[in-house]
Amino acid sequence: MTTDNSAPVSGSIMVVGGGISGLTTALEAAEVGYEVFLIEKEASLGGRVSQLKHYFPKLCPPTCGLEINYRRIKDNKNIKVFTMSEVQNVAGTPGDYTVTVKTAPRYVNENCTACGECAKVCETEISNEFNFGMDRRKAAYLPHNMAFPMRYIMDPSMGTDDRDKVKQACKYDAIDFDMEEKTIDLKVGAVVWNTGWQPYDATRIDNLGFGRYQNIITNMMLERMASLNGPTQGKIARPSDDKAPGTIAFAQCAGSRDENHLPYCSYICCMASLKHATYLREQYPDAKIYIYYIDLRAPGLKYEKFYAKLKEDENIFFIKGKVAEVSEEESTGNIDLVAEDTITGEKIRQTVDLLVLATGMQPTAAVDKPAADLTFDADGFIINDFSKGGMFAAGCANKPADVVTSNQNATGMALKAIQTLVRR
Amino acid sequence: MTETYLAQPDLGFIAQMRGLGGDTLKKCYQCATCSVACPIAPENSPFPRKEMIAASWGLKDRLLGSADIWLCHNCGDCTDMCPRGAAPGDVMAAVRAAAITEYAQPKALAKAVNDPKKLPWLLGIPAVWFAVLAYITMAHEDVMTKLFNVFGIAWSHAHEGAEHVIAQADFFSTWFVDLTFVPLAGAVVVIFFLSLSRFVGDIHENAVQEGKTDKKNIDVKAFFQALGRVIPLILKHNRFNECGTNQERATPHMMVLFSFIGLAIVTGIFFIVLYVFQTPGPYSQLNPVKWLANIAGVALVIGSGIMIKSRLDNKDQITTYKDWYILGVVFSVGLTGMLTEMARLAHLEWITYGFYYLHLIAIFNLFAFLPFSKMAHLVYRTTAMAYAEYGNRK
Repeated sequence: MTTDNSAPVSGSIMVVGGGISGLTTALEAAEVGYEVFLIEKEASLGGRVSQLKHYFPKLCPPTCGLEINYRRIKDNKNIKVFTMSEVQNVAGTPGDYTVTVKTAPRYVNENCTACGECAKVCETEISNEFNFGMDRRKAAYLPHNMAFPMRYIMDPSMGTDDRDKVKQACKYDAIDFDMEEKTIDLKVGAVVWNTGWQPYDATRIDNLGFGRYQNIITNMMLERMASLNGPTQGKIARPSDDKAPGTIAFAQCAGSRDENHLPYCSYICCMASLKHATYLREQYPDAKIYIYYIDLRAPGLKYEKFYAKLKEDENIFFIKGKVAEVSEEESTGNIDLVAEDTITGEKIRQTVDLLVLATGMQPTAAVDKPAADLTFDADGFIINDFSKGGMFAAGCANKPADVVTSNQNATGMALKAIQTLVRR
Repeated sequence: MTETYLAQPDLGFIAQMRGLGGDTLKKCYQCATCSVACPIAPENSPFPRKEMIAASWGLKDRLLGSADIWLCHNCGDCTDMCPRGAAPGDVMAAVRAAAITEYAQPKALAKAVNDPKKLPWLLGIPAVWFAVLAYITMAHEDVMTKLFNVFGIAWSHAHEGAEHVIAQADFFSTWFVDLTFVPLAGAVVVIFFLSLSRFVGDIHENAVQEGKTDKKNIDVKAFFQALGRVIPLILKHNRFNECGTNQERATPHMMVLFSFIGLAIVTGIFFIVLYVFQTPGPYSQLNPVKWLANIAGVALVIGSGIMIKSRLDNKDQITTYKDWYILGVVFSVGLTGMLTEMARLAHLEWITYGFYYLHLIAIFNLFAFLPFSKMAHLVYRTTAMAYAEYGNRK
């Protein structure tokens, strides 16, 4: 090796993104003694996993894995968590990066006990994006009941009246509207990008009617509905009339494996829909569930078994053929869908109470490109360039993956980051 | 279900599809979006998803002998919605081109019509033929007159009169025109008759096999009744108007179709006027038949011109030689026809003859190669639509 061992080395690692894989990278590096800066743009850690009702492989509720990780963070003085923060710029070379981080004001300090008195008096309401806008929340809110840090946030849209009220209501002097946006420079030796994914914007899939017809929802919306902390307190109901759906169809590959949208397979949507079938079955023992697919992907023995088990349910039907046209029955709000059953060669016209679009994962980096010298593939996933080193991507920033794969990958990238520091 | 089916892929056929503009066919992953996107596919065994897998597997017989490939009007909605860029619309067009070649006889001519390298021959042979006949018309009028007198027929169809008018007949005898094109038309009819008798048998067999018809055999009378019901739909371009993406094609296509019908009527009337009433052209511009001729001629030029332009503008649709050939021929027929007339009215004698010569070559290409070029769709699609109507394919 002919590397210049004399270069200045910072002993710190930056992890961008505090979802399940970011938490893993941060903890794996911190627990062997490295200082880690964990940067999260939302007000709470937890990422997409915290929006799920259950997650694979064991169908645990998200609290299950996240609580343990939060405990580990609290116990580890090496991890510095920056929420509401984004990376503005990365300068430097492997082993010696200067990262500019911008932190938005939360208007709530460490004194907050999450007692909720501020929310009681606040009158301003905003759309609840944690629930994909399916309900509204107060402008003084806790991100969700598993938030980390467990602290309220004051939305900047709050008016003067409300600002006075919430300040008065707070017994702990935790609300401070004088907080300002802060920008700091951090010296790190390596950066791991765990910027994750976001659900593909279903309104862009013209022929599947999302956004035009109320009873067409996305798979992630279904997760929120099924979650106890969701907009319907766990009840899966039709958005148009809150009725229990008797027939539910899933449109697989909605905007996935499609040149006009996401050209790749998102890996997990098939399993997600199968999982959603279990949510529905739990609530509605007689509901008929139709899964329209091109190919079903159940990778690995565990997923294969899960699929095999669902196939035993005689009210779950698998139809090979993509849903390609939808319309709404005006009087009932029911959805009429059209597909061709490619096994029988018949065109199918079916009326369902609820249609769930199995939309795929789009890397966050495709929409919000990191300001760093990274290599991206055509779809916006970050390609790991190990010969260049210094910066790595893990989890869904690197490829569409489930939690297990993301965590394996995240652990590997923690090691890559450590090697960057040690080899110099 | 347990019935085994051994696919016999015809690799040469797959290569042929690719050459005819279907080079995307292997991208298909059978999601069936196309069958739903298609505004004119039937409910039972819709197309073009099943055609895509058959093409991909090289199942030539299943494709070429299926009426479904002709029910497709190349709307382009399937290609637009295709998540893979497999362009089912272009593949269907390629399959149709292969079907025309398959059913046409003689095969060598069918292959030549679809081979750009043979174009000089397709143009050269009629060019020489017409040049020779023009030479005879102009240089050996006396010989021909004597020859025709043997049979007691007048040779000249040229105007006899004091004032000199430019008449194409002075350059190229109307006898030669008709002695060329009447037998040619006869040959075309025979070729189509032979092709269609095989074609109808095949599409029926295919429909029975795939459960696309409720008829067990072909009742000729009922079939022609179905044809009668289908023709008004074709004239009104009902199917075209159901299209989404390429809907604007309906108007130029209608212009071209109606101008051909108009020109056929004009030719028929003047044929009778010439041979029955012994009145040679050129005819007066005030004659209503001439109005029809002029309107049809202009519509032909504009209609085919728009088609060419939209093919040039549309980067999503694949246009291959088979498309350019026929568009070129149709446009040339219209353009050279109109230019001949305009030159004649402008008293430019030799320019008139020049354009007329080109006009004859263009018409020869249109007629002689009708059963082999894309133009044959006129016959196959009409037949397939009539069969679908007869067989209750909904």
